[in-house]
Amino acid sequence: MIQVQNIVQSYGRDKEILKDVSLTVREHEITALIGANGAGKSTLLSVMTNLVPAQSGQVLLHGQDIRNIKSNELAKHIAFLKQSQQLAIRITVNDLVEFGRFPHCGGKLGDEDKRKVAEALDYLNMGDMAEKYLDKISGGQRQRAFIAMILAQDTPYIFLDEPLNNLDIRYSVEMMKNVQRLVSALGKTVIVVLHDINFASAYAHHIVAMRDGKIAKEGPPCEVVTAQVLDPVFEHKFHIIDHDGKQVSLYYDHDEASACKFCG
Amino acid sequence: MAENYAGAKQLWHKFQLFAASSGTSSRATYSRKRTVMVFVVLSVLLVAATALYLYSRTWARMQPIIQLGIPVSPDAFANILARAIPHLVAMVASAVVLAVVSLSFQTITQSRVLTPSMIGFDSVFVGTQTALVFIFGASHLLFANPLVNFFVSAGVMIVISFFMFGFILRSSRNNTVFLLMFGLVLSGIISSSTRYLQIIMNQSEFFQVQAATSVNINNISADLVWYVLPIIMAVVVVTLLRHRKFNVMSLGPQQAKGLGVAYERELNINLILIAVGMSVATALIGPLTFLGLLAVNAARELLKTYKHMPLFIASSMIATFALVAGQGVMELLRGAVPVTVIINLVGCTYIFYLILKENRV
Repeated sequence: MIQVQNIVQSYGRDKEILKDVSLTVREHEITALIGANGAGKSTLLSVMTNLVPAQSGQVLLHGQDIRNIKSNELAKHIAFLKQSQQLAIRITVNDLVEFGRFPHCGGKLGDEDKRKVAEALDYLNMGDMAEKYLDKISGGQRQRAFIAMILAQDTPYIFLDEPLNNLDIRYSVEMMKNVQRLVSALGKTVIVVLHDINFASAYAHHIVAMRDGKIAKEGPPCEVVTAQVLDPVFEHKFHIIDHDGKQVSLYYDHDEASACKFCG
Repeated sequence: MAENYAGAKQLWHKFQLFAASSGTSSRATYSRKRTVMVFVVLSVLLVAATALYLYSRTWARMQPIIQLGIPVSPDAFANILARAIPHLVAMVASAVVLAVVSLSFQTITQSRVLTPSMIGFDSVFVGTQTALVFIFGASHLLFANPLVNFFVSAGVMIVISFFMFGFILRSSRNNTVFLLMFGLVLSGIISSSTRYLQIIMNQSEFFQVQAATSVNINNISADLVWYVLPIIMAVVVVTLLRHRKFNVMSLGPQQAKGLGVAYERELNINLILIAVGMSVATALIGPLTFLGLLAVNAARELLKTYKHMPLFIASSMIATFALVAGQGVMELLRGAVPVTVIINLVGCTYIFYLILKENRV
């Protein structure tokens, strides 16, 4: 169980990025963080994973302040994937996934570690790509390899920071389906920062909308993906339509968007 | 005939199956074979370099006497050899520690073109020596006594470099260009103030500073070597024991943190190790700017791996080879070309190649 309590985070003298954020992560669900650039989504994610220690307030993992948990121990509970996956070294998919076992074995893989690595590769259909180098596969496959690494890390909590960045539609959908599978089949708890509201609406169980370092609204997609909530959050005019029970947001300007001139 | 053909076809099919099944592991065995080959070749080169150096210090030096027909007693020979041993040990120890800390420095800076020397370490060494002579005078215990001078200058350098590298790394981690620029400006400031001090100090002191800040292996005091050896061994062993952590850290700070490495703590430990290792090695044999860079990158090229244990060992062997063989050649040429000139020439060319290559990718 992860509880965020009264987090205030600032850079520099008085640039407050997070202003008194409190949140309880819902177990075995996908929670999506949405909001405009600079709303504090990524900072909140960094604080929740102790990548950046909380300045004021605290994040509790099963009631214990995560700043007091040894990093190695924390990595057995919380896994995260940051935005950029540029590596300075040239390694294979298998090498990368083996790194996921580091918190458990300190880099010296035993039989169980090897089994978990093989399982993670299989689970993401990367078995036949294991020996390929990361710089020789497509962006979508690379992202999948990183997810396999996190899966091998074998943590109940998974944090993803904009995992759909630079992915085309097909890979984005595939990625979200994989994330969904982590929750439904393996019982993981996923917290994900998403830019595309429609992906959040379609795949998340719970959406947290952030504005100006505060939580503007949280709830199930049907409550959050409404013009009433989104307009102030993104300072933009939204048009929400209902499609098979899912809310879909249209965000181009309605008046200016002209109809196709060929079909009238 | 047809039967034969079918048999051959079946065999071919079986072979293909075998090839397919062993396909995934073939790369692994290949790279293991390569690693073994590299280490065998490096060991042979090391033995050859050691032999060359010892030859240059013993027989080559005794040639004039032998030519005159004066017999050399075994005792005299043993004496001469015994004088060469501490120098050999000093070279091996310094080369190993330079290579090891250069690799750990590259991993924590996420860069293949940086070494501590290149971002101003050597100028800190020369600056410290100059300042000591300028403030206390060349005859003062701090400079004149090799042991005292060693520990004082190593201590000063450890403190300065720890804070300097710590500051630079904390403010601009993963920014190679900034690190290089900062190092350039910093070593510029330090060297020009050093030069100012050298100009206003008297001539004999200036020459003493010059002698103390250039690589001159034959001047190393044998006592000092035995004092310094445990320190160097400690730095090397502690760094090598962290090789698995280095593997994870080469993924970058964020990934390493995510995988449970206490990054800030590791950074501090390694900065101390780097500062101590560099200071001790530099104070012992002098500034060898490009040796670490050359050795680490040559090891990377040869082994093509990210795993730190083989890289640590191979780069130590390459650095030792370059220094010992270079010094041996220098001895044979009777000091016509200082060993640093050779190493810096090769190292400089290599860094040009690296920068151009990295730029293209």
